[in-house]
Amino acid sequence: MVTLALRLWVVMRKLLILCLFVLGLGFALFNFKGLASQGEFDSIVLDFRENVPAAQITAQVRAIAQQYNVNPHLNSEFSDADNVYIVKGDRNFLKALKKSPLAKQTEYIEPNYIYKALEVPNDPDYNKQWNLRSINVEQAWDETKGKGITVAVIDSGISLVPDLKDTKFVPGYDFVNDQVEANDDVGHGTHVAGTIAQSTNNNYGVAGIAYEANIMPVKVLGFGGGTVADIAEGIRFAADNGADVINMSLGGRGESQIMEEAINYAHSKGVVIVAAAGNESQNSASYPGRYAHVIGVAALDAAGLKAPYSNFGAGVDISAPGGAMAEENPAGGILQETVNYETGEPMFASYQGTSMAAPHVAGVAALVKAAGVTEPDEILRVLKQSARIVQEDPLNHFGAGHLDAAAAVKLALKGQITFRDFFRWLRDNGYLNLRFWIDGGAIALAPKVAMVLGSYLLAWLLRNYFPFAWSWSLASGLIAGSSGLFFLRGFYIFDLPQWPFRVMGSSIPELGNTIFGSSVLNPVFASVLVPFALVALLLGHPQWKWLAIGSALGVASCLAVSAVLSPAVWGLGTGALARGFLIANALLCYGLAHLAAKPSEQSA
Amino acid sequence: MSITVTGNIERKGFGPGTWALVSEDKTYELKDAPEELRQSGLKAKVKGEVRDDVMTFAMIGPVLEVKSFEVLSSD
Repeated sequence: MVTLALRLWVVMRKLLILCLFVLGLGFALFNFKGLASQGEFDSIVLDFRENVPAAQITAQVRAIAQQYNVNPHLNSEFSDADNVYIVKGDRNFLKALKKSPLAKQTEYIEPNYIYKALEVPNDPDYNKQWNLRSINVEQAWDETKGKGITVAVIDSGISLVPDLKDTKFVPGYDFVNDQVEANDDVGHGTHVAGTIAQSTNNNYGVAGIAYEANIMPVKVLGFGGGTVADIAEGIRFAADNGADVINMSLGGRGESQIMEEAINYAHSKGVVIVAAAGNESQNSASYPGRYAHVIGVAALDAAGLKAPYSNFGAGVDISAPGGAMAEENPAGGILQETVNYETGEPMFASYQGTSMAAPHVAGVAALVKAAGVTEPDEILRVLKQSARIVQEDPLNHFGAGHLDAAAAVKLALKGQITFRDFFRWLRDNGYLNLRFWIDGGAIALAPKVAMVLGSYLLAWLLRNYFPFAWSWSLASGLIAGSSGLFFLRGFYIFDLPQWPFRVMGSSIPELGNTIFGSSVLNPVFASVLVPFALVALLLGHPQWKWLAIGSALGVASCLAVSAVLSPAVWGLGTGALARGFLIANALLCYGLAHLAAKPSEQSA
Repeated sequence: MSITVTGNIERKGFGPGTWALVSEDKTYELKDAPEELRQSGLKAKVKGEVRDDVMTFAMIGPVLEVKSFEVLSSD
């Protein structure tokens, strides 16, 4: 049983990777179209030819300036030699310029595209959030924003300030007033929730770390604090209602059985529990930060030093920005939107404390979990191992080190192939570059994708008649029959013959012609013959049989797509005859697969 | 556990802030400080109970629930 389950798992995993591959191609294609047409620009580059006399260029530039009422200028002091001018303008102006007589005197006129680093949010006060940059959250956002993860904020409640408008909430509870609504009358919990999941990229206010995660407000604190009984109930409530992460920016000096049991309960249900280390500037974290199964967080200032108030020593697992403010100077604090407890009005406020440090860790824990690491102990291991180590730390000010969101998510994803990796691989290898596809041998991507998808569609159709398990051999057959590892065909390596790449990059029907570098299909290979031979050879083998069936389906798809898009068969021309030949063979291939898949004997 | 602590009243700026009684060797967080004690710089003698069953967002020290107090001087 165990080996069967294991094998099934391996097959499923491989299939998943394959599906990602195919999906990735589709997505790449989709994006690929979009890149050129969706670029943003508000100015246009004019590069005058070098052989145009300077006086003439000046005259031209002046003419543009007058005609369109714009102010063309050299891009920089280094642009003079190349005659590169920049002029404000949109798509219409670009068109007009390209059509004008001026175009003849330029090497090119093109949009001055604005390149942006990925994932820098547009929240206007993001630049004041030194704390988010110090944990490298931007690179982490490249992978995940915490979608699907629920973080319970066990605190003074949360008020729906404007910068939490786009943040997703799940129902919580108010254990102080015993009601479902858990509003914040203190202004603490709202701030903490903001660090975790402030609405981000909403052109308003500031950003949060795991801003696509769900927030569960659990109110246990009033201005006079909260009792361990309420807090323990809050922990159990969160664990029972689907929280993945609990943040407790609270603490005290009293050990409590009821609280420890609640923490163990939540931990046993797979919840990551994060708590502040305390603000007494003392050796050892306060409760609950010091319990086993709770990640105790010490606070850092903007320079990465221990914040003066932060507790340290035993119970500190990791450190994160908590800020340190000089009198009346908010710059060193952590800026989020919260409520003013005196007026109840929303306000942006800079706070300091280990209260502010803990939600950084809770937010990153949510990102790590969203990246696929599920066990709380494993998440703690990832957080610690990815932290930036502080070499000299004799008093354990920093625990494992400074929190690093990017490194944590990267470590969490290690060993997993994600869709983004695939996309990145495509991009890094130039597949998303237009020039690659036009100059690089014109391997039309769309027909290839159609062939692969078509073969899967055929397999799916066949499965409706005879239920069979997806297997690696079937998938390999599908790929080999339909498209081959076609991206290999674009490989040209110095001093190596290119034909092996062409062969590996070809589907079975194309094998007869690619070795010679032709694109006209060879009727021997582009027919039912090869799949038939494979089925005849492999039908007796429970595993390899599926490779043959897969290849038959793949060839069927390849021939059908070729029949529609480019029916060119050697000796049969490019017309109806070739098309008929290809369609007939595609049908024969499907029939062959149908027959071979029929469970006439007991098969795997 | 009832104790008497003499110290200075200070406002501690954690989150929305809290009132503290800072004695020579320890800082106490005043739970629901009476209005008369909410003034930085006061020297006071406070009789109260340390609430180990209470946790706070300020986390600056033991939580002292005030039973009675005596203002010694206002600076």
